[in-house]
Amino acid sequence: MSIILQLIADLEDEKVLVEVEKQLNDGKSPTEIFAECQDGMNEVGKRFQEGEYYVSDLMMAGNIFKEVNEVIKPYFSSEDGETLGTVVLGTVDGDIHDIGKDLVYAMLSAGNFEVIDVGVDAKPEIFVQALKENPNAKVLALSCLLTTCYDAIKETVEAVTEAGLRENVKIIIGGGPVDQSVVDYSGADKFGKDAQEAVTIAKELMEL
Amino acid sequence: MSSILTYDEKVAKYKSIIKFENVSAGTAYGGPATPANHMGMLMKDYITDTKKGFQAYIDYIKLVDNEAPIDFLNTPYPGMMHVILTTMWLAKVKIPGRELPDDDLWQIDEKPVIDRETYDFIIENGFEAFREMVLPKVIDMEEVKQFMQYISEEGPQQSKAFIENGFPLVSEIATAPPFEILSGARSMPKFFMDCYKIADKIKEAQDVMLPKVIENSINMLTNANAIGAWVGGWRGASGLVSPKIWDKLVWPYMKEMALAMLDKGFIPVFHLDQNWDRDIERFLEMPAKSCVLNTDGMTDLRRARKLLGDHVAFMGDVPAPLLSTASADKVSDYVKKLIDDVGIKGTIITSGCDAPANAKFENMVAMIKTAAEYK
Repeated sequence: MSIILQLIADLEDEKVLVEVEKQLNDGKSPTEIFAECQDGMNEVGKRFQEGEYYVSDLMMAGNIFKEVNEVIKPYFSSEDGETLGTVVLGTVDGDIHDIGKDLVYAMLSAGNFEVIDVGVDAKPEIFVQALKENPNAKVLALSCLLTTCYDAIKETVEAVTEAGLRENVKIIIGGGPVDQSVVDYSGADKFGKDAQEAVTIAKELMEL
Repeated sequence: MSSILTYDEKVAKYKSIIKFENVSAGTAYGGPATPANHMGMLMKDYITDTKKGFQAYIDYIKLVDNEAPIDFLNTPYPGMMHVILTTMWLAKVKIPGRELPDDDLWQIDEKPVIDRETYDFIIENGFEAFREMVLPKVIDMEEVKQFMQYISEEGPQQSKAFIENGFPLVSEIATAPPFEILSGARSMPKFFMDCYKIADKIKEAQDVMLPKVIENSINMLTNANAIGAWVGGWRGASGLVSPKIWDKLVWPYMKEMALAMLDKGFIPVFHLDQNWDRDIERFLEMPAKSCVLNTDGMTDLRRARKLLGDHVAFMGDVPAPLLSTASADKVSDYVKKLIDDVGIKGTIITSGCDAPANAKFENMVAMIKTAAEYK
């Protein structure tokens, strides 16, 4: 297990940054360092799924990953950074909550997905527009914390269908009051019970 | 059909449930926002036109009660709800008719209004000075004055109406432990990071806050001649925070608040959103048969019953999605299964957290009716 992987997995935020900067100064490839960071995040996700870690740990890890990313980014060349795929993400119309969405963003990014975040309170046409602008996006992830916004999920799914994009895009939903009954109601494909599961499902739906 | 029990008999039933001496499951209504749509009121009018809004609230409860007997109320009418939420969490609240469309639900607009240095401010100046500093950043203080006036004028009338209609309000107010208050003001992501990096400092600030939080809560409960109150467990849920944070910054404060309520004769209702499985056994630290766990469907009550036995009563936990999207039969099946698994002794059936604004009327009736008639 590499030092960086271990430090991220143990949520040692300050030590990670020191170690990353040291290794960059020693001439280690930023791509390799970045890959070790992602492995560290995978380990965090694994610990979360096994019940050893909790949401606050995921948030802490996401924060560490973001900070490391800011340190490494300037070292990347344009050909670096191939991702597993693209996900369009946002909180549905009528709902202004962003904490869950932002956590999903962090975990998907750490999982090497490109994430197009359309923000909160996003109308169906915003999601459709983002999908049109990113034709390589294979997954649409909708966040919702209000039961009164189930209709907004449904309307977004319908808008994607009406725009002729549904065949190419899988739709996952998540948030506190979201379960299989909301999948059935809205016509989405799957629901994720937490941010880590969003990564697993995105990979599954993209057949990775 | 309505309950044949009088107000006092229902209060006695509530206490018997907590003692595990009840012969039938209790039923509780908890849905501050649910009545608006069914009673034909826009949400903006429902929460701001407090006389009409309260009438709609109680009329809706009576409509449900006509079909299925409601024993207790777990939520008060949400008049000027945004002021309550803002003063509780020190976070801005967007409301229908102002920042949101007329018929939308109120929502907390969580942005950090304090920084890391504020913990020192609390330690040096106390909780009241902290509140006075933060509140004007999140609400027009004129609205707080209006709220105080509304509560002093209409609060007693509302209490009287609950008594006259035979509905004991078992959770008069929601109290927020220091962890929840700081989480609201600092914003959850930033506060959680602080909990990792400067936990001792936060503990010091929370230790300063707690006595005043308790004093304020007890004063409100005493003035209202209340039966009990929520001890809020929202951001402090076991499923959300690591054990280290929970043990140090969450549970000791919730416990002390609940013990202080008990000491003054009020019944604490631990209102537990999200998943509390990891730490459920810690409720054994409360005096036996003294309080209620009010869960939202995410905590495993079957496991909890096995671990807690007859130590703590349960109030829950029909999930919000079921109440808003499922059929009445499905709601009824859920309640039957819950009663089969946890038994009727020490059990009150109600919605998980608050019933949603778009809960179907027939589902609310099915939930209460099944609880009242099954076993």
